[in-house]
Amino acid sequence: MKIKTTLVAIAAALLSQGVANAQNAGDLNDLQIAHVAYTADNIDIRYAHLALAISENPAIHEFANTMIRDHTAVNEQALALLAKLKAQPQDNFLSKDLTKNSKKLVNDMSKMRGKEFDLYYAKNELAYHKAVNNLMRTAFIPNIENGEVKELFEAGLEIFLVHEGHAEMMVRQLD
Amino acid sequence: MAYLNRRSLMVKFVAAFAVTNFAKSLILSAKAEVKPKDHQIDIKRLKFTVKQLEVKVGDTVTWTNLDISPHTATASDKSWDTGRLKKGERKTITITNDFSPKYYCRFHPNMKASLKLVS
Repeated sequence: MKIKTTLVAIAAALLSQGVANAQNAGDLNDLQIAHVAYTADNIDIRYAHLALAISENPAIHEFANTMIRDHTAVNEQALALLAKLKAQPQDNFLSKDLTKNSKKLVNDMSKMRGKEFDLYYAKNELAYHKAVNNLMRTAFIPNIENGEVKELFEAGLEIFLVHEGHAEMMVRQLD
Repeated sequence: MAYLNRRSLMVKFVAAFAVTNFAKSLILSAKAEVKPKDHQIDIKRLKFTVKQLEVKVGDTVTWTNLDISPHTATASDKSWDTGRLKKGERKTITITNDFSPKYYCRFHPNMKASLKLVS
């Protein structure tokens, strides 16, 4: 019952990001989970590049550069681990939903400028990190079977929780 | 009598020589005690593992990044900076008289720590 409640909460959080069917996230295997994480990292890197192109706010630039550095570093570690395990990440419904909805979001944000863009980007970063962190903490990490993959996700979650705090601070400053 | 005076002078000379050498060895051992230290600070789980470190002028501090994400140790007034440290990389900085004690990670501004300059 508790697990079901948690997954409903995750689904609600991800629905705010336009991600459907998240209630099945707990059924994904290690390689599918790795694919979702890799996809989520790349989406955030995409948002960051957009922010660097549109925003003129130095705080937004600083945050966006941190997103590019950290998510790239996590993805490099993930790829190195998968190569060591001789495994390939597996595409799945959640990765597809994330990608599809990020395209819409990038399209929407591309039309914004100035403070409107900055605030939207900051709020989206906060919501996105909250949703993905919840997903990692409650659905992915408890279900990952491989010890090394689990360890990498735990290290990644620590980094993303700091991003969440940073995004929260940014929203407070801009709002 | 002259022989005794010469002997006494010789004894005094030898004693003075011995005392001087003893003093020199004391100074040398004192110098050995104040030899600069190399302090180690790891960066792990998005934290500097030593929040406040006592250092003296001439000491060195080495920061090592054990995290996946890159970090820096940067003076709050930007007067010194380790530069970007990737996982496994380290950088050593020597403490000077005008060393700025408070520092943070430029990439993760909530990561903060400081050095305390003692004499």
